[in-house]
Amino acid sequence: MVPLLFYAACAVASAGLLLLLMAKAGTGEHGRAKRVAASLIGLAGIAWILVLIVQAIPVPDNSLGQLGLILLCSFISIAAAVRVITHHRPVFCALYFVLVVLSGAATFVLLSAEFVAFALVIVYAGAILITYLFVLMLAQQTPADLNGSDAVNYDSIPREPASAVIAGFVLVAVLGGAVFGADRSPARATIDQARAIEGAWYDLAWMPRTLTEQARRVDPTVIAIVPEANGHLLRVQPDHSALVRVQHSDGRPASTITLPPSLLPDNTSRVGMALVTRFPVSLELAGVILLMAMLGAVVLARRTVESTTTTASRESNA
Amino acid sequence: MNDALSSAFTIIAPAQISIALAVSAILFGLGLIGFLCRRNMIIMFLCTELMFQGAALAMVAFARMRMDVSGQVFVIFILTVAAAEAALALGLVVLLYRRRETLNSEVWSELGES
Repeated sequence: MVPLLFYAACAVASAGLLLLLMAKAGTGEHGRAKRVAASLIGLAGIAWILVLIVQAIPVPDNSLGQLGLILLCSFISIAAAVRVITHHRPVFCALYFVLVVLSGAATFVLLSAEFVAFALVIVYAGAILITYLFVLMLAQQTPADLNGSDAVNYDSIPREPASAVIAGFVLVAVLGGAVFGADRSPARATIDQARAIEGAWYDLAWMPRTLTEQARRVDPTVIAIVPEANGHLLRVQPDHSALVRVQHSDGRPASTITLPPSLLPDNTSRVGMALVTRFPVSLELAGVILLMAMLGAVVLARRTVESTTTTASRESNA
Repeated sequence: MNDALSSAFTIIAPAQISIALAVSAILFGLGLIGFLCRRNMIIMFLCTELMFQGAALAMVAFARMRMDVSGQVFVIFILTVAAAEAALALGLVVLLYRRRETLNSEVWSELGES
């Protein structure tokens, strides 16, 4: 039942997007009215999709505020993405894409992925989008070109908008239908939580110096961590705290202290530990990919310099 | 000492994950639509970045659902590939622009030497 309504909502949103793409050819007062109507239809479709999702899944009262924030960020990113694909001036498309990245980063923070959120802002909004703007500037159409022939309006006339929107509609309907079929039982969530906390404590055990510092927050006289008989530095308790055996600076015998869950490593430490302990080969391969891309870019740039110098020398010879 | 779990380890409301997943699907679909119907080559590559963005959002949502950082590590690799792709694709676009003095992709619809 719910997927059918979801498909209907997707169809309404796609119809709005299609009208928005087609209405761009029209200019003046009439074109503007058509654009506004199309945007309203599209927004109604998107709002319907979000309402269906919220209705289908019960929400605890204590997470309503966060849910509202996520809804707001989603709305901004979808609206900005629509502007990316409908705006007829490329520079504005790039700037709206920055808005998509920023609201996406806000969603990442809400999903407690802080490191990735800031990496996204720095790498995407800071580096990649600036490269796009530079290339847009390099490949700028002169105003004389824009007043000229029919080929220059390629930015305002979409190619086959109907087929494209139908393809997008099918993709979103199939992908989004999976959202309703997901099994997320509370028991499964509890198991995941226990495993994640245990894994995070063992991440901390990989970093003995950090572990000692954390233990010093509980008891300032700690000077070293003593390994257990089985070689582990700590023991995870069912209440998500951890026990460590420590030596004290004031000459007391080694004792066991409890680290509370608030001393668990933060998101950045966990991502870093996962990168170097679980995915070291992928990390090296990422470096190889970047090196190859750099070489490729150098080769491409070298060819263009050669062609321009040869034409320049040809002109000077003539 | 504060005994509360940090927000990364609390059980999240499933509706938030569902909304993030739906938005990722919609972003991916919008990127696809844009790639198919825009004619400007730079905007077409911008739309592939939009699809990357949708995929990254899904990864982070699943990472939050399972409270596992592997999804976030994957997003870092997505960023790497996106940066490499942007460098190469934009270099190609500049090359093509120098040849035909236009960004219209339909000019290149017939492959071959020109």
